[in-house]
Amino acid sequence: MGTSDGQVLGSTKIVDAGPAEQRWNVVIVSEGYRSDEMAQFATDAQQFADALMAATPFDRLRPAINIYRVDVMSQESGARDPAKCGGTGAKPRTYFDASFCNNNIRRLLIANDKRVLKVVGKQVPQWHMAFLAVNSPISGGSGGPVATFSKAPGALEIAIHEMGHTAFGLADEYEYYSNCAESGHNKHSGSEPSQPNITTNKNRASTKWRSMIQASTPVPTTTNADCAHCDPQPSPVAVGTIGLFEGADYYHCGVYRAEFDCRMRNLNRPFCAVCQQVIVKKLTPFLPT
Amino acid sequence: MAKARKTKKSKSRKTTKKAHAKKKTSKSKSRKTPAKAEARKSRAKSIPPEPVKAMRLTFSYDGDDVKLISQQRAEMMVPPSDPLKGYGKHKGFWAELKNERDKTLYRHVMHNPTRNDAEVFPETPGQSISREPAPKRKGVFVVVVPDIDKGEEVTLSRSSPEAEGPASGLLSLASKPATEIMRFKLKK
Repeated sequence: MGTSDGQVLGSTKIVDAGPAEQRWNVVIVSEGYRSDEMAQFATDAQQFADALMAATPFDRLRPAINIYRVDVMSQESGARDPAKCGGTGAKPRTYFDASFCNNNIRRLLIANDKRVLKVVGKQVPQWHMAFLAVNSPISGGSGGPVATFSKAPGALEIAIHEMGHTAFGLADEYEYYSNCAESGHNKHSGSEPSQPNITTNKNRASTKWRSMIQASTPVPTTTNADCAHCDPQPSPVAVGTIGLFEGADYYHCGVYRAEFDCRMRNLNRPFCAVCQQVIVKKLTPFLPT
Repeated sequence: MAKARKTKKSKSRKTTKKAHAKKKTSKSKSRKTPAKAEARKSRAKSIPPEPVKAMRLTFSYDGDDVKLISQQRAEMMVPPSDPLKGYGKHKGFWAELKNERDKTLYRHVMHNPTRNDAEVFPETPGQSISREPAPKRKGVFVVVVPDIDKGEEVTLSRSSPEAEGPASGLLSLASKPATEIMRFKLKK
């Protein structure tokens, strides 16, 4: 169990935009890859790097971003998959002890983040964002200081969504907690959220992203007629319109998002313009002068 | 002594601001809102992201308990600060770098890293993301702040969870303004 179940082999810069001291540094670490699978990890890490750099706005920020691969070999392949969550009961010996079924949630895939960060800190002291790629075909992932994801289809989307939280402080934009039929999530009654992509302020002149709302766009842009449920209406405006759409931050009403859809609301969507602006603002200083 | 100095300074700044505002009234009234001015001021005062030294702070959390476990210097750039003013009544989680007079020099708004629930992703692409309570969550998180001479202390602020109702105990549903939960001196 733990570090005796593998070995840190070293790091490789797979996207090189310049000196680590002057760039925004992303690190992707392997978990559950045996020594004979490290070539596969190199391919998986490159695929991840390509997907990240193709996602807007990172495609425009390429000169600001380095990506490193940290090769960590495990004795055995995969991640723990406890039978109590309907898993296979597999208990492979891996370096970071990644496991599904955390808190009895099958797809909650978590590793020993403290150990991951220790390795990342040694290999790439200037790191800004760390990912852990788990060599398992089972769907799962988690956020936090290390965005963890498996090799299941769509897993890269999980990783990029989690990066929105961890690196850029973006809030979730979905308007429910567990599902739209739940009770107790009718109206957001709290203070203004600190995150930049959600707001309770529906005043056109003072809301967070006021400068991005066109005069012709109605504000609020959508209103949920039945706060006991999620709003079923389709977007009344063209895709990409920035306004105030009711429902976000786990509540059906009383809190607004900037676009009808966004990567912080659903996977396989681009970041909305407001989230993009936040990312660009944070990473622009890392561009070469 | 420090307190007296602070009062005097803020008073004189207030006066200057007032005079400045008076002077500009006719020109700026129609297009510059107070919120815009605040944002501009905040941006101007935030620390520029020079290739400076940074301090990487690692924390552990276990339920409500948050502990600082390490402070490490690194030669790296830090992303620009989030707004330094106007968040007194905001909810959420953030870290602040303070000077000796408790003035905020740098602020980093975070998606609460000490949550007691988890985001659960769909088995098949196209389905919705959801959340589930995960009361036993514990772990670590990292905050990076500029390592500058004036930076003396770091604070963490977080909204407390509701005491009753469906949102009871869940940090991601906390709706009250954030309050300071931790303060410590930076290693020099």
